[in-house]
Amino acid sequence: MSRKVEQVLIVGRDAAAWLTALALQRAFGRTGVTVRVVELPSLLGPADVYAAVPSLTALHGLLGLNDHEVLAATSGVPVLGQRFSNWSGAGKPFVHGYDTQRVAIEDLDFLQFWVKARAEGLKVELEDFSLAAAAARQGRSPVEADGTQVETPVAPGWHFDGRSYVDLLRRAALSAGVEGRAAGVQAVSREGDRIVSVTLDDGLTVAADLFIDASGAEAVLIGDSPGAEFESWRDAFRADRILVASAPALTPLPGHSEIAAFPAGWLGLFPLRDRTAITAVYDSSVMSDRDVAQAIPVLCGRPVIGEVTVEPFAPGLRPGWVGNCVAIGGAAVALEPLDAILLHLIHTGLSHLIALFPVDADQMPEAPVFNAGFASHVRNIRDFQLTHYALNRRFDEPFWDRARDVPVPERLAERFRLFEARGTVAIYDDESFQEQNWTSIFVGHGLIPRSYTPLVDRVPVEEQMAKFRGLLARVAEEVRAMPEVESQFGGAAR
Amino acid sequence: MTGPLDVVIVGGGTAGWMSAAGLVGVLKPDQCRVRLVESDEIGTVGVGEATLPQMREFNDLIGIVESDMMRKTNATFKIGIEFRDWGFKGSNYVHPFGAHGKAMGGVAFHHQWVRAGQQSRVADIGEYSYAIEACRKNRFDFPVDDPEAINSTYNYAYHFDASLYARYLRGWCEARGLTRIEGKVNDVALDPQSGDVASITLESGERITADLFIDCSGFRGLIIGQALNVPFEDWTRWLPCDRALAVPTERSEDFAPYTRSTALEAGWQWRIPLQHRTGNGYVYSSAFISDDEAMTRLLGNLDGKPLAEPRPIRFKSGRRTASWTKNCIAIGLASGFLEPLESTSIYLTQVAILNLLKLFPRSRIDPALAERFNRVVDNEYDRVRDFLILHYHATSRTDSELWRHCREMDIPDTLRDRMALFEHRGHIAQYRDGLFSPPSWLSVFVGQGMRPTGYHPMADNLPLETVTAGLEAIRRRVSERVEAMPMHDAFVRDYCAAADMVPA
Repeated sequence: MSRKVEQVLIVGRDAAAWLTALALQRAFGRTGVTVRVVELPSLLGPADVYAAVPSLTALHGLLGLNDHEVLAATSGVPVLGQRFSNWSGAGKPFVHGYDTQRVAIEDLDFLQFWVKARAEGLKVELEDFSLAAAAARQGRSPVEADGTQVETPVAPGWHFDGRSYVDLLRRAALSAGVEGRAAGVQAVSREGDRIVSVTLDDGLTVAADLFIDASGAEAVLIGDSPGAEFESWRDAFRADRILVASAPALTPLPGHSEIAAFPAGWLGLFPLRDRTAITAVYDSSVMSDRDVAQAIPVLCGRPVIGEVTVEPFAPGLRPGWVGNCVAIGGAAVALEPLDAILLHLIHTGLSHLIALFPVDADQMPEAPVFNAGFASHVRNIRDFQLTHYALNRRFDEPFWDRARDVPVPERLAERFRLFEARGTVAIYDDESFQEQNWTSIFVGHGLIPRSYTPLVDRVPVEEQMAKFRGLLARVAEEVRAMPEVESQFGGAAR
Repeated sequence: MTGPLDVVIVGGGTAGWMSAAGLVGVLKPDQCRVRLVESDEIGTVGVGEATLPQMREFNDLIGIVESDMMRKTNATFKIGIEFRDWGFKGSNYVHPFGAHGKAMGGVAFHHQWVRAGQQSRVADIGEYSYAIEACRKNRFDFPVDDPEAINSTYNYAYHFDASLYARYLRGWCEARGLTRIEGKVNDVALDPQSGDVASITLESGERITADLFIDCSGFRGLIIGQALNVPFEDWTRWLPCDRALAVPTERSEDFAPYTRSTALEAGWQWRIPLQHRTGNGYVYSSAFISDDEAMTRLLGNLDGKPLAEPRPIRFKSGRRTASWTKNCIAIGLASGFLEPLESTSIYLTQVAILNLLKLFPRSRIDPALAERFNRVVDNEYDRVRDFLILHYHATSRTDSELWRHCREMDIPDTLRDRMALFEHRGHIAQYRDGLFSPPSWLSVFVGQGMRPTGYHPMADNLPLETVTAGLEAIRRRVSERVEAMPMHDAFVRDYCAAADMVPA
């Protein structure tokens, strides 16, 4: 007879710890599972930001978090995309917009028609047919100040002030019945690959059936688990520093974040209500921390206010579930905050954990399945990030030349080849980003398909043209129906 | 683009004519010109008389009228496959084209079924499936659209005479201008530089060139195998059956809306009801039974008078390592074969055709297109393979050598992990592409005798009484609604009776 998992101990900090606590409490709290958190000191400073892709909204729904309250508590703003600038030399910036509807004509991807029309002289960019991209460029989003949303086929992503978001999650978890205790870890008692108990620096020893490591890169529990070696991705990602800072708020508030390449890496501007969060991810052998800090006001055209902090960064992945310990967030995977995926990586780990939450405290054959599924998901996200690097067109800069030249994983190379040949995106199991996302960045970075499927020609040319006009008209109309972000979250609303 | 791509299909049969119909029905004459070479002297295999629901998408795509096609192919409806004696002698389950129950408390139905079953008695899982109950009562009707209605929870396919279907498509293609060339292929010439197929030569001496060759020549793989030497990956170690005997019998009383598969000592026997006769056959492993014994076994196990001598068929389970190589695309048996246990043969042909249409070359053949095609086809084969192996491996039969062998054989890791997680906690991972979806896996896992020891912990969020009441309500809804369905025989008679439909 199996023994039910009844005691869960989360050791960690910041969003990973509290999102996990709240998620497990909501999913299993009523079935007799006790969720406790040992909260390690936060690593967030006043300049930190959480940027999220739209999928976070669904997680918030499960957690019982209300959009309006979250936005109000975190200086938060909705965004409909990310604008990539300076990634392609003289090429134009593009917006990766958060559309929810796949645009199709007769069930064929709109892209196929666009490729054909472009070959025949059409000058309209693919992005102009994206409702989310158009709305983002015009500073609009479907979200109203009270958190309600205009009905339209886009889904907002979010920016939250880091520390206030964590405060909100902690409050929500504690009031949902999670037990919390601020402490450090003194010792971890193990038997084989299992953890028996954790002794805290206040002298308390806590046993549990399931341990969650949400401590970030420190990997305080999983780091010493047998077989949980960290696989470094340094060869693919050269950036070794993450710098955070703040600049004054933007007026009017834009509808997107700005991701700008510079000679040593990239710089992200994430608008919040009361400030603009800045993140720089770069290779310190190309530009020193001091040089980057000095360059930021020039790069983003705004003064820096408050403190600037720099942390080292080492990309990679480790098996997230060993014995009775599961790592969530940075303890399992370290990726750059590119494409707003940090909270999403936590979310992905939680989805896998909830689907496979162990049924027996004494044996957990779920571990390899969790590890395979999670790793596959993460590798697809990694490849999405690598796409930006691999397709860059900043020539004669060592950092970017190398990013272009370093061989990409075979699966990504195959995606490139297929897209170039036929405008089709190969989608696998465990994908966070879907066809429209890959298409947006492929085309945005200049990867243009050479041919299109002959099925396109089944639709008469006049009908194709009418559809194009109809789509553009609809985009214009839907954008007008969305409120301006500034009117809801900026200026007077502040 | 310089003009239509010149395509030659080598071989008639189901694969050849489906390929022809796909190309002719979907592409325009200025995109491709299709010719098909076949010989009346070469028989077609035509075992694939049972299909999967995906077949309807293919017919819809090219614009085939269902009732007309059914009338002309002596077709009947199919909403599942009955497996007799598979898990153990005397066992009986149906793999339905439909769901079991519905999700309760945020977890899939079977978690609650397992949970309730640990506390008290629950009905057989089949009683919660509308499609299965309809099979049990020999009833058929079209599913409705309203997702809330219990009679929307299934899908259907056909049993038909595959050679009549091929003939039907041939007429359809020829009416649309396809050129059929009568003749046997004598020789295949490769371009010495590129290694591409340059031409084929017929017995008559006629030499035919093309931009693209579609090899539908069956098991022997005239171009893909014999000329291009693309290796065949043999899966006999997992799927030991390598022969079949097929025999039609007179139509019997039992006009079932499902295929029956009965496990025998050295393989299994199929039974497929058509309008004018019943198709039967014994799929067996030559390592475990002689042809003569198999013949005797089959003839002694029929529920109607045989209408012909049993016809022998030889095959090998496995696939070509690259169906699309150079300018040749193998479709149908030339690309691989998986035994007909789950009626996947025509489905795999269809997948190949639909992908070819999407990836159809415009002027030159881009290797990235072939790479993609092969990736998709491989994935489909791998998934079907694992599902088939499950039927053989998860059994408690020890009464004959074949079953003892299959119980003990090594299975692919992908399948082993899947079985382990199901037994531990009823977990069935869903994949994005390819057959089969979780309800199919569930029916075979449970039908073969596997019972999860655990279930998803979230199931406990719902009070047990709510769950048992919910289960009972579903069971009652299913059984009441099924009683209102027409009998399969009456439905077919009314909708698509063939000229030679035999009266019940």
